[in-house]
Amino acid sequence: MWLSVINGSPRGKKSNTAILLGELLKGFCSVTGSFQLEEIYLNRPVKDGRLDQLFHESDIMIIAFPLYTDAMPGIVKEFFEDLSGLCGTNPALKLGFIVQSGFPEAIHSRFIARYLERLASRLGAQYLGTAIRGGVEGIQVQPAWMTRRIRKLFWKLGAGLALNSEFDDAVLLSLAQPERLGAFVRFIYTTGARLGLTDFYWNRILRENNAWQRRFDRSYMIS
Amino acid sequence: MKITIVDGAPGHGFDPFHGKLVQITSALALGGHDVKNFRLSRMHLRPCTGCWGCWARTPGECVIPDETIQIRQAAIVSDRLIFASPLIMGFTSALLKKVQDKMIPLLLPYIELVNHECHHRKRYPAYPELGLLYQAEHDTGEEDLKIVREIYLRYALNFRTEFLFMETLDKESEELAYVVISH
Repeated sequence: MWLSVINGSPRGKKSNTAILLGELLKGFCSVTGSFQLEEIYLNRPVKDGRLDQLFHESDIMIIAFPLYTDAMPGIVKEFFEDLSGLCGTNPALKLGFIVQSGFPEAIHSRFIARYLERLASRLGAQYLGTAIRGGVEGIQVQPAWMTRRIRKLFWKLGAGLALNSEFDDAVLLSLAQPERLGAFVRFIYTTGARLGLTDFYWNRILRENNAWQRRFDRSYMIS
Repeated sequence: MKITIVDGAPGHGFDPFHGKLVQITSALALGGHDVKNFRLSRMHLRPCTGCWGCWARTPGECVIPDETIQIRQAAIVSDRLIFASPLIMGFTSALLKKVQDKMIPLLLPYIELVNHECHHRKRYPAYPELGLLYQAEHDTGEEDLKIVREIYLRYALNFRTEFLFMETLDKESEELAYVVISH
């Protein structure tokens, strides 16, 4: 079996996307060791003919990326355009997606997920689904106990993929929580915002970079 | 009215597309509007790397030097920002998306609730209203157009502005120029 994993993060190997894919692969490997793994990072040039080969040879392809301005990053769209000549050439291909974002709610990624389902159809591939996860931006700096659940869910997604060649619907549902912020969370957030607590993270980073005084700069407004 | 047009068609095979946008630009200028037309296929463009420099190190400014700075400068003082692109694999071009990604410095990193959702706070007092001029593919259907429209509506929400229209380039230039200013 060929499993191709496409990391569409502009941050490449150091990305949050890579962490999530890593957990998915651990889960996959826990079930089976007899597969060929191909990994591609879209923030680096891909050798001519490599994408064609992967598209034709893969049994499963997972394309993962961070949400950029409500859709895929430009480099991922470029990759989709590179696939345009391959539509219908591998009807056995199972194509799944992972969309992660810094916003906590899944709702932000629902719109691009509709596009991805349509893209799989356009490519003539079998659509596995789109795993949506919000609140991922802090995963690299958060303590282990805070990220244990999300890592476990991606592990389960990978294990289920190896077992059944599909994304587990229950895992997809768990990953996408919260779909929207509940009234209580909104109340807490609004209260925190009034007290200035919600800006703490960015203010700390800005101060570390000696940029806090310029945090509201409008340098593009020149005429 | 100040109008910025961003021509996201790739360089090869889209001469009629570029030509139509030039005609629309001319028609708008003849009508007394201040129009800038950026043809991305002729510009030096480096994609966003997700470095957050524009939020954390040089607030409000992209740290990756390229010619898209001209687009951000023009857009933020415009009344209308018109994206233009052929649909390729069901969505507007990668070239255009790379520019849209690099609009992030126009917002603050801080989060606020809008319509009960998290969104970035405004850096500027106002943002241009948005429109999209597109060229359909041979297999573009209603569902494809709906998907594109909904994603652009989300983009507009993020920038606290309105997505005014989405119009095919198949119409006459004068008619499209009217569409750009009339909504």
